[in-house]
Amino acid sequence: MSLARTIKNIRQVGLKQWFRDMTYIGDAKAGRLVGQDAMGNKYYENLNPHDEVPGRGRWIEYSQDDFNASQATPEWHSWLHGIRHLPPTEDPIVQQSRPPWLASYKENLTGTRAAYKPYSTTPPKLQAWDPVARPRGQEAKP
Amino acid sequence: MSRMLTPILNQTSRSILSHRLLPRSIPPSSLKANFSSTSFRLLATPQTGPQTVSSQPTRTPNPMESSVKQEWPDYSKGPSALDKAAQLFFFTEILRGMWIVLEQFFRPPYTIMYPFEKGPLSPRFRGEHALRRYPNGEERCIACKLCEAICPAQAITIESEAREDGSRRTTRYDIDMTKCIYCGFCQEACPVDAIVETQNAEYSTETREELLYNKEKLLSNGDRAEAEIAANLQADHVSFCPA
Repeated sequence: MSLARTIKNIRQVGLKQWFRDMTYIGDAKAGRLVGQDAMGNKYYENLNPHDEVPGRGRWIEYSQDDFNASQATPEWHSWLHGIRHLPPTEDPIVQQSRPPWLASYKENLTGTRAAYKPYSTTPPKLQAWDPVARPRGQEAKP
Repeated sequence: MSRMLTPILNQTSRSILSHRLLPRSIPPSSLKANFSSTSFRLLATPQTGPQTVSSQPTRTPNPMESSVKQEWPDYSKGPSALDKAAQLFFFTEILRGMWIVLEQFFRPPYTIMYPFEKGPLSPRFRGEHALRRYPNGEERCIACKLCEAICPAQAITIESEAREDGSRRTTRYDIDMTKCIYCGFCQEACPVDAIVETQNAEYSTETREELLYNKEKLLSNGDRAEAEIAANLQADHVSFCPA
């Protein structure tokens, strides 16, 4: 990236935000704030090919300090990956596809106590033999 | 002898000149001068090239051969080549290159900064599985076991029972994600669009057993991503149902 682009972006976002971006994304990016998802992540867009390399025009700023890639909610995830052209706040197809029972998204919780543990959803078909020792002195009743 | 041949030669040259292979701009006198008494040979004449020469002036890559006179900029005035080279190479370009190197020095090698920027995906991308529900909340899977039958890796295990209302539903729908080869046959085999592969590829786990998905996990995947799944199916519905 050119020095002129860096200076332009610093002037656009301000020194404080630029310093945060350099310690966070590692690049002086400037773009339009497209929206915010339910987890508080912010989504930015700058599709100008003179500012951003094609493919780097959409990015996310995670709300959590301990961020990981699975924190983007599914609807914004499909916008971020370029699957959907419009963000979910404007996409009529996505908005019509939201059923009332839509569950709130959870990130990948592996490594935590809330991680998924597999279990059987059916009762066991074989019952193990449970030996019961009869007390001594009792005869088996016929 | 020569007097007798002259009208014949004139006749042949006229007939050859009218032939479309010859460029019309060549004056007949030059052709006549080159002619011998033997027949005109067309054997090695290229047949595939341009048949006629256009009236436009010819342009060739070689500027010396071109009939168009090119206007060259006058370099005799203004700064010399040495001056310009000194400005370009010693200041701008080297400094610009040094800036790029300085930037990349403090960065990991990257193409895109992954957790913040993500690469393009198709709506048909095959990632983590999910079981879907109908819009009224009823689960779609009817335990037909077509996905289990077609699964090349035999990663799907299904057991079914009649529910209390008499409808057939699965009591066990297990997918071993460590066996799965993500071929997408299950979602193609499904008659009710129940099992789908979502676009989520970020479900890596710390332990192996977390990848043995059961029905509850698959249904919760679908409940969380239903809007994304439905939008993707809508994006491709034309190719899914050609009619």
